[in-house]
Amino acid sequence: MVAADRRGVTPPARYDGLVTYDPERPWNAWLESDSGAADPTANTASGPRIRSVAELTRLVRERLRDAPGLRDVWVEGEIGQVSVSAAGHAYLTLKDDRAQLRCVIFRDDRLRIPFAPQTGLRVVAHGRLDVFEQQGVYQFYVDSLQPAGFGDLALRLEAMKARLAAEGLFDAARKRPLPPWPASIGVATSETGAVLHDILQVLQRRWPRVRVVFSPCLVQGEAAPTAIIAALRRLERWIDASSGRGVDLVIVARGGGSLEDLWPFNDERVVRAVAAFPRPVVAGIGHETDVTLVDFTADVRAATPSVAAELAVPSRDEQGTRLLTLRGSLHRAGTRALATQRIALEAERRALDTLRPSAVLTAERERIGLLLDRATRAIQERLSTDRALLGRSADRLPRLAQARTMLAGTDLRSAARALGALSPFATLERGYAIVRRADGSVVRSALEQRLGDPLEVRLAQGGLDVRVERVRDSAP
Amino acid sequence: MTDDLNAALAALPFDEALAELQSVVGRLEGGGLPLEASIALYERGVALHEHCARLLGDAELRVQRLVEDAAGALRAIDLDPGDAAR
Repeated sequence: MVAADRRGVTPPARYDGLVTYDPERPWNAWLESDSGAADPTANTASGPRIRSVAELTRLVRERLRDAPGLRDVWVEGEIGQVSVSAAGHAYLTLKDDRAQLRCVIFRDDRLRIPFAPQTGLRVVAHGRLDVFEQQGVYQFYVDSLQPAGFGDLALRLEAMKARLAAEGLFDAARKRPLPPWPASIGVATSETGAVLHDILQVLQRRWPRVRVVFSPCLVQGEAAPTAIIAALRRLERWIDASSGRGVDLVIVARGGGSLEDLWPFNDERVVRAVAAFPRPVVAGIGHETDVTLVDFTADVRAATPSVAAELAVPSRDEQGTRLLTLRGSLHRAGTRALATQRIALEAERRALDTLRPSAVLTAERERIGLLLDRATRAIQERLSTDRALLGRSADRLPRLAQARTMLAGTDLRSAARALGALSPFATLERGYAIVRRADGSVVRSALEQRLGDPLEVRLAQGGLDVRVERVRDSAP
Repeated sequence: MTDDLNAALAALPFDEALAELQSVVGRLEGGGLPLEASIALYERGVALHEHCARLLGDAELRVQRLVEDAAGALRAIDLDPGDAAR
């Protein structure tokens, strides 16, 4: 730059020889019409060429922008000064012990960066180099920024993940299903912090019929991997000690944190301990976006500790709804079964009517009618009680008065017993018989039958399967 | 219902009681049973339902903590689930 300025002091030869002097024309008008940097012959053919600052700067800018190694750059350094403009762009310097680099992060890129750039932080920045012409400076335009060391950790994680995946540790075929009705759940997590509390709260609400066996461990820091493995080992010994009934599944959980915080759950020893655990393992580590190798290895991966607890047990609400539905079906089926018996009874009574003296018949009919009424009343009472109960919420179900239910059941039962004892079948003792077709319908007239029809004759003691040998239209 | 049956019911886990209730309903819906058998089944169904509903309502979460003594033996100590969940 300095050299160019100095050379500009002497008028160039080209100015005298090739351009006609025009007093109306400003001395530097050739600059406007000249193709400038695009003209490669400018210096050689016509001597030294004078450039404007803008022109030269433009030239530098284009060279810089086109340089293959400077367009897609990763650079690591320590953040020096940082300021954020009113428009939201961040200006900062990146430095190491020998140099500084001016950096710009435009607002949209800055908002995408998940942490605030601060003086003293070591970072890895990605971006492109460019020249800011108005100020004559080159700058690094950052589009993404990460704390230094993150890349290293992430690379190590990827490498380990690939190795364990190749070993088949994450295979879907390895995943064990969770027991649908666990009686006991092991929980390996920190003694302090909200995680255990969150898990217990979900279990208390969702399926309190479960026993929790808590095996505390550190979940952060260098000692954490050994502690987690020891906690799992304790649970395993507990299973052995209780002849297999100790724990039906295990939740391994930790609250959210940085990649470094969650690192124990990427520890190969921990990953292998989870894979080798003798019962299914649910992992609830960090928040939705946190993924560790233990998440990949566990039989079920839950987004958070609370979700892990949800997945581990059935839902009380769902089971309550299911119970209500079953209850409805039970009563419908029970009512239908009684109604069927009632129809059969009436059909047989009608069959007997035609054979019996009217006086006996009337008395008998009244008794049967009364019994049927009693049975029907008992059922209806029961149904209305149920309807009232069904209207209530599922959680009130257990308060259903046991005594009342048993009482209703007893009524129904004694009515049915009496119904059976005094049914028209008792009449058969007197020597009558009921003749039925194969479909169970009662035969009332000989003319309804054909030769060879199979019929069933019901007697007081047992019955006969017979065939029609002859059809007569009147009694012999 | 006899006391024997009731006693057996009290020890029946939720899932088994639910499965039996489903089977009872299925058999009743299938029909073709004698009156006595229908009534007995119906009553068993009612008792099973009561049992299930009671199990759903009564439960209190039980929390134990595994501790290892100096000799390395394991014990499970009851924790107050209320304290732990609060």
